[in-house]
Amino acid sequence: MTTTTPLGAPAPAGERPLAAAPPGRSRRRGPGLLFVLPFAVPFVLFLVWPVVQGLWMSLTDSSLALRDTSFVGFDNYAEAFGDPDVWSSLGNTVFFTAVSSVPLVLVALVMALLVHSGLAGQWVWRLSFFVPYLLPVTVVTLIWTWLYQPDVGLGNELLGALGLEPVGWLSDESVAMWSVAALTVWWTVGFNFLLYLAALQSLPTTYDEAAALDGAGAWRRLWSVTLPQLRRTTVLVAMLQILASLKVFDQIYILTKGGPNGSTRPLLEYVYDVGFTGYRLGYASAVSYVFFALVIVVSLAQLRLFRQED
Amino acid sequence: MSTTATPVRTRRRPPRDSAGSPLLLGHGRLPRVLAGTALTVLAAVWLVPFLWAVATSLQSEQDVSKPGLSPFKGAFTLSAYEQILERGNVLLWAANSFLVAGLVTLITVAISTLAAYGFSRGTFRGRRVLMAVTVAAVMVPPQLLVVPLFEQMLTFNLVDTYAAVILPQVVAPMMVFILKRFFDGIPGELEDAARLDGASEVRVFWSVVLPLSRPIVAAVSIFVFIGAWNNFLWPFIVTNDPGLMTLPVGLATVKDAFGIQYAQAMASALLAALPLVVVFLLFQRRIVSSVATTGLGGS
Amino acid sequence: MSSSSPAHEASAAPGSGPAPGIGRRRFLRYGTAGAGALLAMGPLAGCSSLASASGASALSVWDLFQGGDGMLMDDMIKAVSEGPDGFEVDRTILDWGPSYYTKLAMSAAGGRASDVAVLHLSRLAGYAPGGLLDPFDLDLLAEFGVTEKDFTPAVWSRTKHQGAVYAVPLDVHPFIVFYDKDAAAEAGLLDPKGELAPMGSPKALLEAGKALADVTGKSGILFGHVTDTAQNWRQFAALYAQTGAAFTLPDGGPAEIDTDAAVRVVSFMQQLFDGRTNPNNLDYNSALAGFMGGRGGMAMLGEWELPTLQKSGIKLGAAPFPQVFDRPAVYTDSHSFVLPHQDSPDPARRREAHRYVAQILKQSLTWASAGHIPAYQPVLAEPAYAELKPQASYADAGKVAVLDPPNWFAGAASNFQNRMCQPLQSALLGNTSAEKAVRQMVREANTLLRQPNPVA
Repeated sequence: MTTTTPLGAPAPAGERPLAAAPPGRSRRRGPGLLFVLPFAVPFVLFLVWPVVQGLWMSLTDSSLALRDTSFVGFDNYAEAFGDPDVWSSLGNTVFFTAVSSVPLVLVALVMALLVHSGLAGQWVWRLSFFVPYLLPVTVVTLIWTWLYQPDVGLGNELLGALGLEPVGWLSDESVAMWSVAALTVWWTVGFNFLLYLAALQSLPTTYDEAAALDGAGAWRRLWSVTLPQLRRTTVLVAMLQILASLKVFDQIYILTKGGPNGSTRPLLEYVYDVGFTGYRLGYASAVSYVFFALVIVVSLAQLRLFRQED
Repeated sequence: MSTTATPVRTRRRPPRDSAGSPLLLGHGRLPRVLAGTALTVLAAVWLVPFLWAVATSLQSEQDVSKPGLSPFKGAFTLSAYEQILERGNVLLWAANSFLVAGLVTLITVAISTLAAYGFSRGTFRGRRVLMAVTVAAVMVPPQLLVVPLFEQMLTFNLVDTYAAVILPQVVAPMMVFILKRFFDGIPGELEDAARLDGASEVRVFWSVVLPLSRPIVAAVSIFVFIGAWNNFLWPFIVTNDPGLMTLPVGLATVKDAFGIQYAQAMASALLAALPLVVVFLLFQRRIVSSVATTGLGGS
Repeated sequence: MSSSSPAHEASAAPGSGPAPGIGRRRFLRYGTAGAGALLAMGPLAGCSSLASASGASALSVWDLFQGGDGMLMDDMIKAVSEGPDGFEVDRTILDWGPSYYTKLAMSAAGGRASDVAVLHLSRLAGYAPGGLLDPFDLDLLAEFGVTEKDFTPAVWSRTKHQGAVYAVPLDVHPFIVFYDKDAAAEAGLLDPKGELAPMGSPKALLEAGKALADVTGKSGILFGHVTDTAQNWRQFAALYAQTGAAFTLPDGGPAEIDTDAAVRVVSFMQQLFDGRTNPNNLDYNSALAGFMGGRGGMAMLGEWELPTLQKSGIKLGAAPFPQVFDRPAVYTDSHSFVLPHQDSPDPARRREAHRYVAQILKQSLTWASAGHIPAYQPVLAEPAYAELKPQASYADAGKVAVLDPPNWFAGAASNFQNRMCQPLQSALLGNTSAEKAVRQMVREANTLLRQPNPVA
């Protein structure tokens, strides 16, 4: 029938080998290409095309301001590898990924274990930990800009109450990225928490019960039974988290615009800075593809590790 | 990539409200007290920023800028909210957010479900290749596309239009993948029976497949809606006209003649947070399980 | 949505498979339902936003003024909105700095930009050549009472690109000195009229700093520069221009910079902020707060801090940046009105945009209360302006105005200024020598110049 042939070329009826199909189930029947088309068209238009066009743009001097561009070969890539700002923003991205991913996994695990222990007030805990994840990034940054406000923000008020010096949460180069990471943990840990919680709830309880019967204490069972069973989940959560952290842009852009003095600028913000602020879309594409290469490498490395785990 | 290689193990058992294994803590009193304390402290740390923001939004700008640890430094007032609502920006952006997130969800879910079913049951040529390309596309970070997509929108003369905000967001290969995996998992006998009765493919999909898929379609819808509602980067790139901005973009971009005023900033932040928080309170269980099922595949 | 339409298509003949034609049509309809949803956004694409349905006629204007300036601009807009010829203005304020300029460029590239926008004149070279701005119609401006002779040549000469005028300056806002009149009098720095006496040499300014430090018991001249992305460059550019040397940034490089003069300037800055007569490690806000708290006799700041400083209760004096080298020069910039590029501008709206700019210029006296020097000279000639104190004391600064060297990457809030500031900051903090700092500045300028110019 029509669905077996490409769009616009209905097969002649005689070609349908209906008789060859097993009686119970027609192998040749089923939804056709037209089911896929409404997805395939925007997919090609807004994903495949940009991927290809971005690659092409990275080989040109395409500009935001001028419509005529010329091919420049690998000049943009050569410039990118020699551009100290590419390296420093890459360094910032890696640093952020390190200091955000670890607590995002560990705190989520602790939260999930505590909530899973069956204490009363389940929905309160879940609400407290997960709701920040539902907030738009700007809401989060507005709230935290206020917490980090240097004079009367909660952060410095707390330090003052403890008799400590105020901190330049967002203005001190050595502190700002940590402040961003703290915000990020607060904002997104709820997601990992839910993944852990779901994993805990699907664990079979038999091992735990057996260990309890053998007289193993709570700590002992946590270390020897529960955590090992969560190994696979942890690997998954960590992998997803690292990829997510590498893609950081939104909260940093809104919170610090990459400052002070570029100390929090991630690679993706550098793409924005050179591409849109600096008009050089071609160069920005090249930097994007350097970033893409990094993401691919990390993904493949993770995949390898994960395969070895299994 | 990694996420696609992983079957969603957690789907079978959505979190329950009173979930938890009492075994974990044993029978002693001490672990129970310790765990309770730790949980309370953590929850407090997570709630304090919220409460601090709420307290700030309910005071005058003058009182807010007084030093001190007390959350309330002056009289209670709703003036910050009144001023925000009077200016109207936030309401306009909220309307834009509903429009954009609503249409993105509708279109994404519709085309992804159709495509996933087509991939799962279809026999047309090129199916495998198309599916493989779709799966591979999961690895493409959306951030990579921002520059060429903007260039594309310049070419189509669509910068600063709703179409430009919405259309690129409807392509969600991950959702297609999740849905396809679901369809792969349901037996085809019912469909074949319907076909034997002469039902068209459309009819089979609509009357047989969709009713079976309600939970997964709901999960995907919730996930897509949250993502679209909170999406920042692309709407931020492609809208410059404040009348077209969504909530996160408008709040981050458009400023006020007075400069930053924290009571008003907190009031607008909380107003912007409200819709999804309310939705969460209403559909808590649904959302939690949606995130848990689509989460490992998505994010 | 799409999935609802096939619901009532349940009439396929039982027993036989659907005929190819029918089936195909169904599928097409099914597919077009999805496409229809996309097409439904056609109208959405056409009408620009939910907002414009109501206020489509309003003139949209963009600027980057917050705080004191922001509220004065509100007053000026209110003033031109009154009466039968009043405008309906839809004002949008974005964050000062790169984020504003990025959005301005992106909206102009998209072709649906605002009707009028504010631009620092120093950034014109990054906007006019790339087609991101549309030129003004001088006849139209003249019709509304604004012509070239209403501006000083130093400023007007910077509004053009290839002969066409792309910007109409609202103000000139120089980097100047504020001083405590009591402290300056006690230190013997005032002339008989009670204004700051000319300096004339580097030594004189250094001694003035010492004298002021003695009087206040704290600091002489305060200057905040740490982590700032403009202050050091303003200071340097003012002093460097006073040496008479040229600072030129030709496309492709290399930068033409007189390194001897530059080293002389940086060495002098190091002497001026030596950490003895003042702390040399202040950031912008601490310097401002220090001066307001009476912990310094003089502060080097932009005139736009005037409203803030006036609240301090200090007996406030102001003067153009003192001449210490060979010739007078004041580093300055100018907030100007521009017409961001629109693909298909409505002539009637364009006309209104011209009229709006002209009308706002005539409100410049309001703007002057923030400290800015009106660029529109007829306002300067008004007696009411002469009475503005201390604004009138530095009104002449506009005549010796020096702006950033014109180049696409230079100007207010630019990466260029930021990059120039870094080595200067190191030099002032004593982390590097004047020679090394200047070499670094030349290197940075050359790096920027080597980038292909994206607007020409």
